[in-house]
Amino acid sequence: MSGALAEALNPALFWEYREILLKGLAFNFYVFACAAAAALALGLGAALLRVNRWRPVRWAGTLHVEIFRNAPDYVMVVWVHFVLPLLLGLAIGQRLEFPPFLSAVIALGLVYSGYFAETFRAGIQSIPFGQIEAGRACGMPERLILWRIILPQVVRRMLPEAVNQFVSLFKATTIVSLIAVPDLMYQVSMVTQQEMRPLPLYTGAALTYFAIIFLASSLVRAGAERWRQKVYA
Amino acid sequence: MSSIPAISVVDVHKSFGPLAVLKGVSFDVPRGAVVSMIGASGSGKSTLLRCINHLETPSAGEIYIDGEPMHFRVAGDGRRLPRPIAEINRLRRDLGMVFQQFNLWPHMTVLGNVVEAPRRVRGLKRGEAAELALECLRRVHLLDKAEEYPARLSGGQQQRVAIARALAMQPKAMLFDEATSSLDPELTDEVLAVMRDLARDGTTMIVVTHEMRFAREVSDRVLFLHNGLIEEEGPPEEVFGAPRSERCRQFLSKYLQ
Repeated sequence: MSGALAEALNPALFWEYREILLKGLAFNFYVFACAAAAALALGLGAALLRVNRWRPVRWAGTLHVEIFRNAPDYVMVVWVHFVLPLLLGLAIGQRLEFPPFLSAVIALGLVYSGYFAETFRAGIQSIPFGQIEAGRACGMPERLILWRIILPQVVRRMLPEAVNQFVSLFKATTIVSLIAVPDLMYQVSMVTQQEMRPLPLYTGAALTYFAIIFLASSLVRAGAERWRQKVYA
Repeated sequence: MSSIPAISVVDVHKSFGPLAVLKGVSFDVPRGAVVSMIGASGSGKSTLLRCINHLETPSAGEIYIDGEPMHFRVAGDGRRLPRPIAEINRLRRDLGMVFQQFNLWPHMTVLGNVVEAPRRVRGLKRGEAAELALECLRRVHLLDKAEEYPARLSGGQQQRVAIARALAMQPKAMLFDEATSSLDPELTDEVLAVMRDLARDGTTMIVVTHEMRFAREVSDRVLFLHNGLIEEEGPPEEVFGAPRSERCRQFLSKYLQ
């Protein structure tokens, strides 16, 4: 038993393959960054639909949120990679295939846009309406009110919640190895097949993910808290 | 040109669903005049004020700002077309509005609040806008608070920032919607003092207020609203001194005891 633990915690093998594993980790970051950007943009769009004054528009926003928030990451990744290109291909009458990286970004971007939409919506609706009227009374167009009055406050208010969602999204990037995006998990399984020593490799991957997420979220939370206190003291 | 009133309200009606709040209100505000609107809660004062800058759309009737209709424009062939929102926004710049709840933007400093609209709406350069904003803050005696955030100010100070913010658009008229109603009595005076200064400087103002002494002292004209109609109007000495309508007398007796 203690032999297995020592094997699991032995960093030598992980270190030996550091170059290829680091390249894999870089893919986690790429997928994370692109999917986060897509999720934020789509999420904001869906949130704006959800607070629109016309009911059918609100319904469209709700539909987006409910579909993607309730789709499991894994199912979504597989569906976007294998089914969506078929559907689109039928529509345009051409054979279509997505590169795995693109599928991963679309799938995770969509799923997390559902979560971000709800966070944005709650943030937008928490802004007292009087502040919006004050903007209108100054002759500010709605677009300016959104960018200058609503969103800066929404971003501050949603940060703690958004950090949690970013963490979940980063964790979710580990499943993209399923459709052969060469991320850290993918590389670990490749090396494992070669070396037949899963214990140190998978443990190393787990510790690496833990360290990155722990460090990044602590930093962001501390920074966000200081930022909020500056204004709302 | 100078005979055109700064603000002209013509037969304005406003209903919220089945509830008729304004039932045909007309009055003029000459340039440089101060008009106070008094009346019980629910008499339609605030709704009327909000109709003037289109925060509420009147159900019927029209508002003219310097002779220009707020809610429609006349097409080449003489037809009345509803104004697009961009044009309404342009006309709104000429009306500074001060709210009961201040409605400052908490994520911006005091200076940021005042600079925002001149810079982004009127397109002034950063330096020009800041200069203008500081001048407005000086008028409300808050130059020393320019770098503070609103949350650090008292209610009276916040309301004075809101006044400076409205002044910074260099409006043709100022609209005050119960500007002192959510303030403690000791903070009310500092806001009224600023409003008094504005009136003395010849600012055109419409003031919805429950401060009868202030209304009596500062106004050129007083309107008493009841049930969505102007029940009584006239110079303050008449409305306060010798009200003709029984309702107005009853209303005032509650305040002037």
